[in-house]
Amino acid sequence: MHVIDRYAYASRIREVDPAYKVGLATVTLLLCLILNEPFVGILAIIWMFFLAVKVAGLPADVFGRVLLAEFTFLALTTVGVALSVTAKDPTAINMWAVKLGPLWFSSSPEALNLAFALLSRALGGTAAMNFLAMTTPLVDLLDFFRRLHIPGLLIDIMTVMYRFVFVLLESLETMYVAQKSRLGYRSFYRGMVSAGLLASRLFIDTYRRAQRLQTAMEARSYDGEFRVLPTTYKQSRQLVFSGVLMVSTLLLVWGIV
Amino acid sequence: MTAILEFVKVSYCYPGQDHFALKELELEVPAAEKVAVIGRNGSGKSTLFLHCNGLHQPTSGEVLFAGQGLDYDRRALRSLRQHIGIVFQNPDDQLFSASVVQDISFGPLNLGLDEEEVRRRVEQAAAFCEVTELLERPTHALSGGEKARVALAGVLAMDPDVLVADEVMASLDPWVRLRIFDILNRLHEQGKTILLATHDLDTVTHWATFVVVIQQGAVVFSGEPDALLADKPLLEKTGLGAIWHQPVS
Repeated sequence: MHVIDRYAYASRIREVDPAYKVGLATVTLLLCLILNEPFVGILAIIWMFFLAVKVAGLPADVFGRVLLAEFTFLALTTVGVALSVTAKDPTAINMWAVKLGPLWFSSSPEALNLAFALLSRALGGTAAMNFLAMTTPLVDLLDFFRRLHIPGLLIDIMTVMYRFVFVLLESLETMYVAQKSRLGYRSFYRGMVSAGLLASRLFIDTYRRAQRLQTAMEARSYDGEFRVLPTTYKQSRQLVFSGVLMVSTLLLVWGIV
Repeated sequence: MTAILEFVKVSYCYPGQDHFALKELELEVPAAEKVAVIGRNGSGKSTLFLHCNGLHQPTSGEVLFAGQGLDYDRRALRSLRQHIGIVFQNPDDQLFSASVVQDISFGPLNLGLDEEEVRRRVEQAAAFCEVTELLERPTHALSGGEKARVALAGVLAMDPDVLVADEVMASLDPWVRLRIFDILNRLHEQGKTILLATHDLDTVTHWATFVVVIQQGAVVFSGEPDALLADKPLLEKTGLGAIWHQPVS
């Protein structure tokens, strides 16, 4: 969370209107899902990588590593699609089979194709969401939601939640270190006791903080609605241009294949 | 001396508690002074401050602002809170948005000002508190001293006549303290009244032009700092003399 947040603030297209970034990412995600074509997914990944590194100025290895982590998760889930495990000899249905002990592991070109299609499709969409998350701070995203007239209450809750993720994380760390320095985690049993105490203490702390926040906001004439200034953003022709180019290449690939 | 805030026999009991946090407290806060409020932890400083702009309503007694008794309906409170701003001890309790600009704009927008005026106020308050370069930073990336100044800017953007600051210096380094004192002094030069809760003798002797001592929910002294230092029996009674090692003459 901290890391993604930091890159989002440092991104070169941070000041670009979030509408562009949300639009670009959503269109890519939808194309990956709707066109349902492995090469579209792969091309989307390449495009997103290019946009994140060249246009937004994200370090290539950071974008790559996040994607790799997600790839691992997705690959693990698609193993089930690519491989079948049976007790009987499956060579009649599936093309390739290996016998390991009492079990047969088998697969077929169809199953592999399906797994590959699923993986590239999902990864293409994930890359698009990564691009959005790593170039747009949440505050800008909420600002965009507000412009879309999403109910204010939801946005207010998200605003406070996001702010308090960091506040509570800090108080969690402080309490954890304080417990540790008094040997709260010296054994497994003591560790469980301490973690329980920590959780209940954090709960009370959260409640009290919420009350103090409410008081502090009332002192500034809060009356049930968060009013904040809308941010002024820059337009980005570069992003629109790359977006149009990307969508055309994706559609082109889909048409050819 | 005209009193900007008056407390007449104010008593307050927190809901669900059986002892009074304030006991028939009597106080007149003079206008356009730098007021230091001292008193031990739990003596009622914070409770008193929360009465200043109607966040707490006295269980009995009355609070007056500029000679008028406080009215606790919505509209009256809004106008009161425009005149009296409170900065809280822990900036993390006050900063609700991850965006510094958004947080500072919150107060002035609640006053119903238009966007252009709010932008002007935000810029002005940010410049006044020397946080202009922090406006585009996320709140959670700020240091303690930076958060304190942003919290102050969020209150000053509402342009209050009275600024109430509850131990804002407590966890700040001397360098940040000086900058905050500088902000408070500039406010004072503009004719604003400042109430600052403190435990620091230097603040009382060198900064304040008026001192209020609170003990167990009541005001035991209010007046000029020199008068406090000269009041040997009071210093002995409150234990302040012994703690401060002041040459009491």
